[in-house]
Amino acid sequence: MTAIPVDQPLAREHGEARPQVSHGLADWLTTTDHKQIGLLYIGTSLVFFLLGGLAALALRLELAQPGMEFVTPEVYDQLFTMHGTIMMFLFGTPIALGLANYLLPLQIGAADMAFPRLNALSYWLFLFGGLVVVGGTFIVGGPADAGWTIYAPLSGPDYSPGPAMDMWIVGIGLTGISSILGAVNFIATLFTRRAPGMTMLRVPIFTWGVLVTAVLILFSFPVLTAALALLYIDRHLGGSFFEAASGGSPVLFQHLFWFFGHPEVYILILPFFGIISEIVPVFSRKPLFGYRAMILSLVLIALYSFTVWAHHMFTTGAVDLPFFSFVSLLIAVPTGIKFFNWIATMWRGQLTFPTPMLWCLGMMYFFLIGGITGVIVASPPLDFQFQDTYFVVAHLHNVLVGGTVLAAFAAIYFWFPKATGRLLSERLGKIHFWTFLVGITVTFLPQYQLGADGMPRRYADYPPNPGWADLNMISTVGSWIMAFSILVFLVNVVLTLRRPATAPDDPWEANSLEWATSSPPPDHNFRSLPKVRSERPVFDMRMSANQERSDA
Amino acid sequence: MTRRCFACQVAILGALGALASGCIPQAATTQGQSINSLYTVALAMSAVVAALVWGLITWSVIRYRRGKRASDELPPQTSGSQVLEIIWTAGPLIAIVILFTATLLTLNVVNAAPQQGAVQLNVEAFRWGWRMTYPNDGVSVEGVLAPGPQAVLPVGREVQINLTSADVIHSFFVPQFLYKKDAIPGHPNSFTITIAEPGTYAGQCAEFCGVFHSQMPFTIRAVSDTDYRAWLSSERAAGSTPGATP
Repeated sequence: MTAIPVDQPLAREHGEARPQVSHGLADWLTTTDHKQIGLLYIGTSLVFFLLGGLAALALRLELAQPGMEFVTPEVYDQLFTMHGTIMMFLFGTPIALGLANYLLPLQIGAADMAFPRLNALSYWLFLFGGLVVVGGTFIVGGPADAGWTIYAPLSGPDYSPGPAMDMWIVGIGLTGISSILGAVNFIATLFTRRAPGMTMLRVPIFTWGVLVTAVLILFSFPVLTAALALLYIDRHLGGSFFEAASGGSPVLFQHLFWFFGHPEVYILILPFFGIISEIVPVFSRKPLFGYRAMILSLVLIALYSFTVWAHHMFTTGAVDLPFFSFVSLLIAVPTGIKFFNWIATMWRGQLTFPTPMLWCLGMMYFFLIGGITGVIVASPPLDFQFQDTYFVVAHLHNVLVGGTVLAAFAAIYFWFPKATGRLLSERLGKIHFWTFLVGITVTFLPQYQLGADGMPRRYADYPPNPGWADLNMISTVGSWIMAFSILVFLVNVVLTLRRPATAPDDPWEANSLEWATSSPPPDHNFRSLPKVRSERPVFDMRMSANQERSDA
Repeated sequence: MTRRCFACQVAILGALGALASGCIPQAATTQGQSINSLYTVALAMSAVVAALVWGLITWSVIRYRRGKRASDELPPQTSGSQVLEIIWTAGPLIAIVILFTATLLTLNVVNAAPQQGAVQLNVEAFRWGWRMTYPNDGVSVEGVLAPGPQAVLPVGREVQINLTSADVIHSFFVPQFLYKKDAIPGHPNSFTITIAEPGTYAGQCAEFCGVFHSQMPFTIRAVSDTDYRAWLSSERAAGSTPGATP
């Protein structure tokens, strides 16, 4: 059995022209095409990623040494609030939704989303919501400064008067509604637009990840919207939901926020688990090991995610510690299933290491540390020390950068040829990968020690305790290595886009349906669809093409 | 300044986890000492898991990389194994149950209710300082911004700390006690410590509370019971106002 040459187009007849997919500005502004909307989402979220990254560089610069050197404490608070808000709501969530937008219809053999205009509305709500939040920067007094968790009563009328907090509430509320509409659309599309033969147990694992994520969004974002509405009532209509003096409860705000907030962090990781599960089999030349177990573990993580919110509140003295500790620890089990199945997929495979695979491996190595430290902080007595310190900062960056961001780069390198007809430079890609890996290691690992020593997060300044200045300086140096790495990535994207589109339709010998059409796909995605008989229709297609050739 | 526990260092240095995890201070309270033990257990388990999973990934990468002259033949297309799925579901589950049991045992120590006669210390947090009142002795210390107030507490006796907040949420955190608890308006909290070692311990606010969040430290000076009583009397004599009793 031999594989067919990779440059043999599967979707186009030999010599047929690549479909024309250039778009003018008017087209981008009015499009309802899921691929264009997906690219808008991804592009916009990457711009926000750069903004959030710049804020992080400024934070790290201030923290490099004790004392206030570059910014005032007020500006420092605004910077970390904007950094967290942007990265969670304006980068992490929308890049996941963008990838889902681009890939889900293609992976199930659909021409578009079920509700294309609703899809466009989702994007524009997200964009303008984001602009309202970030727009706080341009008003007198600057943007919101109560942290991305906007705990009441700090975010209430007494301690955050002024319009910045209102802009945060309204802007994030808009992005939340955008996510809810998107989730409805993904679910409807998946349930109604699958190609003939594509049963639910043949749906690619990334799309399964999107489905589970969409359900998480449907159940969690409305709770955030409610919390924001109550906070707004407290601020402007004389409410006292979160005002202790009038019988309200600040703890209630935390319950509402984290009932959204913990599923939110799984919204930021489950699609990316799906990406790893999609890419590792391709570069191992094997099917995904334990496809059904992978689906089950996605579902279990999603279910558990609604039962663990109070592990963010162990030090409030207001929650049941053993229960929330046990269910939080339990999440390690389905996450472990994912890791072991990835390893089993590679086991006895034929591994190659182009950039998408490197990012996947980097994610496995790095996310594991974040997973383990997540188990540590799920134990309340240990959390009593680590809560609200740099240990937690290191942990959450370990999972969000080491997980979400690394997997997002894996996805970008993997699907870039599908979306543009061009392969990103492997040489620059490898520089990008290795410098980024060094950057996150140098930036975040010292923060574990800082947190263990008791350095609280959200400190504009810190005392010159032994070792703190050195560890902070190392961390700051790491942040600049990351910045350099991102610069390499931008150069790679710009240079690649200036080259002619010569990538084959299926450069990686991949498995799922998006590789059965041209790169980039034509309007409405497919000229014809291959038969779907397994969860690897394009693999089957390649095999039967081989078979026919050897029979002839 | 902080002494690091030997067992903790062995566990850390001995494993790949050394890169990742921090080393926590040796606790100055008996409650904190049981947290030290729990941390050692957690670190040891973490090291094993990290070594196992990283080892398996690294082995796969090295052993199963595709050679330059590899044939086009596909590797065996194995797609799953129920036995393996059960094994790697059960393994982590067992580890979790062990850690959870250790967690419960530690929680029982840390959260144990105080005996009658424990020293009472009422702590009210506000932007940006602390008001610490000894309700049974009519003594109160208070401080705004750095260096903050200093509370004197006896070694070897249970101390119940009752936390309230006058405005937003703060958190009472003494790293060398390995403990923090939030001071929440409208939601009084209390916890018990038994300081084992005399010394001066730095504390700070750990819940973001506004512009001077990083500027509200306090200290706790732990002395013998006799010295503690002497300090109380001298404070009373010096006319320390009974403070604003919460």
